[in-house]
Parts: sequence; structure tokens; C-alpha cells
Amino acid sequence: MPDWTHHLRQRLTHLDLDGGREAEIVEELSQHLDERYEELRRHGSSEAEACRVAMDELVDPDSLVEHMRPLRQAQTAESPTPGMPTGSLWADVGTDLRHAMRGLRNQLTFSVVAIFTLALGIGANCAIFALADATLLRALPLPEAEQLVMMSESSTNSSSGAVSATNLNDWQARSQSLQSVAGFVPNVGSMVLANPDGAAQTVPRQWVTAGIFDVLGIQPLVGRTFKPEDDKAERNVVVLSEAFWRSRFNADPGIVGNDLRLDGEMFNVLGVVPEQAQMIGRASMWAMIPILSASNEDRSDRFLRVVGRLRADADLKAASTDMAVVAAGLARDFPEVNQGLGIAIEPLQAALFGTDLRQTAMLFLAVVGFVLLICCANVANLLLARANARRREFAIRAALGANRWRVMRQMLVESLILALLGGALGLLLGALILQIAPNLIPQDLLPGGVELHFDLRVLGFCLLASVLVGLLFGIGPAWAATRQAPAAAIGSETRGSSGRGGKMRNLLVVAEVATAVVLLFGAGLLLRTLLAMQYVDRGYRAGETLTLLVDPIGDRYPTDASLLQFFDEIERQVLASGNVKQLAWSSALPMGTPGGTIGNAAFDVEGAAAQAKGQQAVADYQIVSPGYLSALDIRVLSGREFSDTDRADSVPVCMVNQTFVDTHLGGITPLGARIAIRTSTAPDAKVTVREIVGVSAPVMARATEIDAAPKIYVPLAQRPTDDIFLLVQPKVGSASALIPQVRAAIARVDTEQLVTVSDLMTLEEIAADATSRHRFRAVLVLAFASLALLLAMVGVFGILAWSVQQRVRDFGVRMAVGATANDVLRLVLRGALVLTVSSLLIGLLLAVPMGRWMASVLYGVSPFDPLTLAMVMLVLALTTLLATLVPALKAARVHPVEAMRGY
Amino acid sequence: MTDIDTRTLEREMKKGSAELIILSIVESRARHGYEISKLIETRSQGQLKFHVASLYPLLYRLEERQWLQGRWVEKAGQRRRRFYSLTPEGRRVLARQRETWETFVQSMRLITSSSHA
Repeated sequence: MPDWTHHLRQRLTHLDLDGGREAEIVEELSQHLDERYEELRRHGSSEAEACRVAMDELVDPDSLVEHMRPLRQAQTAESPTPGMPTGSLWADVGTDLRHAMRGLRNQLTFSVVAIFTLALGIGANCAIFALADATLLRALPLPEAEQLVMMSESSTNSSSGAVSATNLNDWQARSQSLQSVAGFVPNVGSMVLANPDGAAQTVPRQWVTAGIFDVLGIQPLVGRTFKPEDDKAERNVVVLSEAFWRSRFNADPGIVGNDLRLDGEMFNVLGVVPEQAQMIGRASMWAMIPILSASNEDRSDRFLRVVGRLRADADLKAASTDMAVVAAGLARDFPEVNQGLGIAIEPLQAALFGTDLRQTAMLFLAVVGFVLLICCANVANLLLARANARRREFAIRAALGANRWRVMRQMLVESLILALLGGALGLLLGALILQIAPNLIPQDLLPGGVELHFDLRVLGFCLLASVLVGLLFGIGPAWAATRQAPAAAIGSETRGSSGRGGKMRNLLVVAEVATAVVLLFGAGLLLRTLLAMQYVDRGYRAGETLTLLVDPIGDRYPTDASLLQFFDEIERQVLASGNVKQLAWSSALPMGTPGGTIGNAAFDVEGAAAQAKGQQAVADYQIVSPGYLSALDIRVLSGREFSDTDRADSVPVCMVNQTFVDTHLGGITPLGARIAIRTSTAPDAKVTVREIVGVSAPVMARATEIDAAPKIYVPLAQRPTDDIFLLVQPKVGSASALIPQVRAAIARVDTEQLVTVSDLMTLEEIAADATSRHRFRAVLVLAFASLALLLAMVGVFGILAWSVQQRVRDFGVRMAVGATANDVLRLVLRGALVLTVSSLLIGLLLAVPMGRWMASVLYGVSPFDPLTLAMVMLVLALTTLLATLVPALKAARVHPVEAMRGY
Repeated sequence: MTDIDTRTLEREMKKGSAELIILSIVESRARHGYEISKLIETRSQGQLKFHVASLYPLLYRLEERQWLQGRWVEKAGQRRRRFYSLTPEGRRVLARQRETWETFVQSMRLITSSSHA
């Protein structure tokens, strides 16, 4: 039988087929020719004739090669010739899409890994975008929200001072730029709603002036809101929140016009407002304070925050100028109260969201942005590896007439498909995150009435992100894959081709690891902040302490003596209920005031240099009962704690903390020194001269306080106040177990349901609440940083595994000439080390500005904390080692002979 | 059909319907190249011949399009052979082409039948 092999090979040779493929074709065609030959022989042909006929059929009717040629060109046949009319562009894109889908289907593992990586990155970005959108970008959900401003009185001490009702009325009357103004009391208090069944309910209530809903542009759902007539008539009226109306009154419209018994008085329900109203405070109802009758005597009584709506033709700048004139006028007309006061004005949105929230949103955006970049780098890396393997294909297509743009375009279409699929999955992930996010976000971080939406904006963002990401990670590999001259690419075998793609891949991995370093460092700083907050010695022990706010209603205990008697009675009842070790009263709680509004007082120290007007020194001011300091283990450094002998009719006394001594006493011996305390900066405020009887250790009472503020303690008996916290410590067991018995004890004293009991929490819960936003920040950033680390390590693993695979032949040669497995291992590890160290160095360089940028959200840790840096390095070194191990061991196990044969 | 030159018919048929022919042949079961060429010849009663030069490029092309799948099969004591079978995609293409073809033939018959002449 003739041997066709040589003949066939000769014919196929200039098709430049892959070696294995050519051998297969030769084998298959030889078989066919063999069988044809035998058939011809069976039918009586001579050997020579059979051979000739078979060979003729190979070349006839058309040449075999003619028929074979389109095979290699099957894909490029559809490519447009340069300069072709654009009408066929869509057809080409269609072809690209088909090819891309087929390519991605054929490499399913690659596609799945890439899509999931992108979905993680895009999903995280979607969710955080929704947060940033709600807080930074989107206008408040109120009509013409851009015209709304927050206004306060500014002095040298503070730019956000409260405003008196009289001044508010004058602002309205004198300003040219304001369409309307209204005020509200920032603290949401509560009222006791009496029920027919005798069980009183405490309802969160906020005091507002009559115009508030008109200024905000909030329309009632049912009934009406407050009108000037209500103010003139000084009626007791309330407006309910939608949620409260639904939950308490089953959304019954008939409630409008009815009276509710609140704090023992009848209040008429005017209407129900939607949840946007909660933006000024998380209240269930709003009660009106009449202000129209406010007189000049009330001018120094500052308690309102003011919202204004600008006239349509006025902007913030015009309003500032206008209000400066108003302030100057008021200072001239009423100098004793308004001297030195300006009017600060800022957009309502900025005022409500505050810098902390904006910084948090920016921080999260930056973090997830970095995570997305790492995702991109990883996918780009995968694509580069794939492009490298396909270089010959691209080169052949280029040689057959496809221009570079055409080949790049096809690769970009593939990238975009990956990105869009990843984006679609990411959208699902983002929606899922937004489903559970509201439960994780601390309540005080977002103003009420602001919700995270998953809407068209988020969808649009997601789509945009996907397309950008697709271009971002697609363009590099496409460029790299098509840059080599076709002849060189076709001529080269796959083994020697690390080339440019390799360098780019290394750079990508360095960038990934460096980014991970930055994120880990940021997360580390936030974690250290959280730890510092939780474990810092704040100067008091929370222990097992139950706290509750006891607020007897105005007229029930009209005199100081009756109020004190009421407190005494509660004390007796609570102590009698058993298992109570200690009990104390205080007007403020450590860590209990998120806004930092611990009461304060202006004062003068007798014998110290007189203070300039308007420069009055201010200290924290806390009213406590005897036993408060010892209950919380606050040390008394000198002198004594208050005792039962400090009564209303005895010498007025006070205690100060060490910070007060250091800051304000200027060398005067504290014990026996006298200070004149006024509870407001108003000139007519009551002044009490008190003698210092003790100095306490400083207490850091605010979450982010690093040095305690100067503080004055005053005994309850000499300065009785309602709205006071009761602290109860159990002899054994948990503090929260005391709740029922304490409630019952108070109910025995307060038989008429006229006392609001609210905020039942342990001191530890209060502290945990105060640090919740820091915990949220730390946990979220840590989660993203861990994700980044994982992705970066996948990148490191990928690049090393790939480079080991590329260099198997090299390792084989080395081992053949005497290198040991250890030498090869060392070689790989050295490569990994170079990669890691350079990434770390770059990461550290970037971490420095990151730390500085974050300084404002840090507490108790330096922005360049060496311990955090060291931990990040350690974590990174360990994880890199882990990622390196498998490829390195694989390299060390290379068998020289196989290495050289197999490649 | 007797007056049509066999060679012309063969060329036209191959050009227009070579794919349909190949796909139909391997529809019932996987077959190797030589078997396919013989089956085309016998089923067309010698009217149609696919020689090596035209058959294999076509097979490879169909394989590239993923309409056919070629697989080497080894049997004891024999040389291994490459068998071609229909892929699911190929099955769909075959159904489509067959339908088109039948419509075409039917319309041709309607147009060219003597009753209209």
C-alpha cells in the first residue's frame, strides 16, 4: 500500500497548522485514501492505477488546499476591510458578540471566576452608592429642598447656637430673603399618653413652632398641620407621624379632631404627616409651642433650631448678606442680649447630614472603589493570561487582513460582556445588601425619613460602572495581545512567550497588593479606634447599672421641695423593692449624649483675672445626687463627695474635675475657692456663687473625647431639676433584671400617670450605642479590606502559578545542570519576595496620605500608627506566603526530563 | 432528470446543499469520513460523489461551527478512526435546512411541473 503521509504533509505545510492538528488530518486522510485504494483494487484496478485515481481525487476537481484554506480564515472572513461603510458595523458587532459568547462559553471556569469577581466589586459599589446617593447627592425628599436652610445664632464660642422665640419672630419680620421660618426643639422628648385601661404609654414627641411643616413643604396625609391661628390661640395641638398613626390608631382618619390625654392635659389631634417629617427628629408626634406671644423678656431664652425657606429669587449668598443686616439690626436694638451675635446659615441638607455622615459615605465610597479596582486587576490578569494563549490566533487573523482595531474590538466586546454579566449579578448582590443594610446602619447615623433606595439611579450607576470596568480591564490585555508583529507571533511557540503581557501582569498584581495594603491599613486604624473607644479608661466603671429618665410633668411638683420629696419617695420605694445595692440621680450620663450636648454653664472664678465680654468661660455642668460618683467609681482626688448635709439651705457647694483645676484655676488652691456660675450666657441669667468642696478625676463623657472637658458638679438638693436620670445598681444579677421592679416602684409613687419613664438602658448599652457608628465603620471597612486581601492573594497566586508554568523548561534545564529542588524553590520564592516587598513599599507610601485623610474619624490612634502598620505587614507577608506555597512547591517538583520533553 | 449532465448536477448540489447532505448522513449515528463518502454515493445512486478533497474540508468546517463533533474511536485490532456525529446545534441547523430545502423543492416542482406549461 502506498504511503500517503509525505504527500499529504507537503500539501498542508504552508497552511501552518498546529502540529497536533496537522498530524490528525494526515492520519485521517491517509486512512481514507487507503480505503479508496483498496476499493479500487477490489474492482480490478492495477496498483499503479488505483494509486493514481486516489491521488487525482485528492487534487481534483478543486485542489484540497483551496478547500482547506477557508478553515483557518473561517473567523476572519467576516472581518470588514478597512474603510468599509459603517452600515455593517452593527453586523460586525453582532458577529463579535456571537464569537465572544462562544469563547466565554468554551472557557466556562474562566468566565465564572471573572463574573463572580466583578459581581463582588460591582455589588459592593452599588450598595455604597445607594448610601452616598441618599446622603451626598440626592436632594432631601422635600419640595424645592434646595431653598431650605438651617439657621443658628453664631458667636465667638459657637457657630450653631440656639435661637429664642422672640428673635425668630424678628428674623421673619425683618428679613428680605426669607419666605418663611420656623423653629423646632432639637431634642426629641416624650409625653405620657394615658390609656383608658390605665396603662400609660410613653410617646416620643418633638416641640415645633406652628410654621414648621409649611416651611419644610410637608403636606398632611389626613387633617391639617398647625396654623398661625393655633399659635395665636395657644391651643394644645399635636400632629401625628404616619407610622404612629398606623400602629397606634390603625390608620383611622377619625382620630383627627379628637383629644388625646398627654402628660395629664388634653391635646387636640390636627392631622397626620408623612415620614419625611422625621427628618428634624425621630418623633411619633409633634406638639406646637406658641411663639407669637413671646416678648422681649423671652429674648434670652434660646432653645430653638431654625429652618427657613428662601424666596425663589434668593440664594444662600444673598440670604447670608441679608441675615447679617438683620443680626446687626437686632444687636443695635437689643444690645444687652444680641451684642456680638451673628446669624449662621447653611443648606438644610448639609446641616442634617453633618460632616460625620458625609465623611463616612466618602470613606466607604473610596474603600469599595478600591475593592472594585482590585477586582478589575484580577480580571485583567485572567484576560492577559488568556490573551497570551490566543496570541497566535490573533496574529494569524491579523495576517489574514483583520486590522488591529478589529481584533481589539472583539476582545473589548468579550470584556464588556463579562462586565455586564458581572454587573447584573452585582446588582442582585447590591439589592441583597440594601435589604439587610438598614438593620446594620446605626440609627443615629442617618436622619429619620431618609431611606436607602434601590432605584433607577442605582441601576444606572451599576450599568455605568460595569461599562467603565469592562473597558478598564479589557483595554490593557487587548492592547498587549495585539501589539506583537504577526510574523513574530506566528513563528514563536507558546513556551517562550512571557513577554510584555508578563510585565503588565506583574504590575497589576503589585497594584492589587498595594491597594490591599492601603485598605487593610485603613481598616486597622478604624479597628484600633473602636478598640480604643471600648477599652479606654474613661474614668468611670459602668458595671451593672440601670439608668432611666424620670420626667415629672411641669405643674405636678411646682416647688423645689415637692420635687425633692418626690425623688426621695421614689428612692425609698426602689430601695424597698429589694436587691438594690446603690442608687443615684444625675442630669447627664457618661456617653449618653451623642450630640455632645451635656448641660453647660458659664462661670467666673473669684480672684482670677476678669474675662472679656463674650469670651465667657464655659464648662460641662452636671447635677448629681450624693452617691453618684461612688456608684460609678469616679475617684475623688481631694476634698469630699456631696453628702446629705448639702441641702437647699446650706452653703452652696460644687465639685470640679481635675481638668477644670488645670484649665481655669491657674494656681489657685481648688478647695475653698469660689466660682460664680450662671446657667446661661444671658446677662440676666441667675448667678450662684458656689464653693469648691472636692476635686474628682476627669471622666471622658463623650465617645470621641480624648481629654476630658472641664466639668462642674452641683448637688441635686441645691439645684433640683426635672428631666433627670435615675441610676440603680443591683446587689446581684444583671441590671436589666431590675426594670420591672423599678417601674412598679415608680408607679406606686406616681399614681396619676404623670411621670414619663423612658430610656431604660444599662450604662453599658449606652456606651455601646455611643460607639455604634464607629463599630459600623470599622466592621464594614474591615469586611471590604478582607475581601480586597482575598482578591489580591488570588492575584498573587495566579501570577506565580502562571510564571512557574512558563518557566518549567527553564527550571528543567537548571536541574539538569545540577540545581537542586531547593534552588528552584528559592528562585520562585525570590520572585514572590520581590513582588511582595515592592507592593508593600508602594502600599505604605499610599497608606500615609490615607491615614492623614482619615485622621478626623480616628480616636486614640495616630494616623501613622506603627503597630497597625506592622500588623498589616505581617498579615500580608503570611497570606502572600500562603499564596506562593503551592506554585513554589510545584516548581520544586519539576522533573528535568519531563520538563524538557513536555514543552 | 436524465438529460441533466451528472457533473453539473453534482457541482450545483454540492454548492447549495453540501452541508445538508453531510448533516443528513450523520443524523442517525456517528460515521467516519470514508463511510460518509460511500453513503452519499450509494444513496444518490452514483449521481453524487464527495471526494477526499471536498469532503474533509467541509467536515472540518462543520466541526469548527460546532454543528458536528469529531471523535477518535479505537477498536481492538483496528486503526483508530475519526467518527463524526451531530451536535445539538447541528441537529437544529439540519432541521432548519431540511425544511428550507423541502419548501424549495416543492416550489420548484410547482413552478416547473408540466401542468402549468
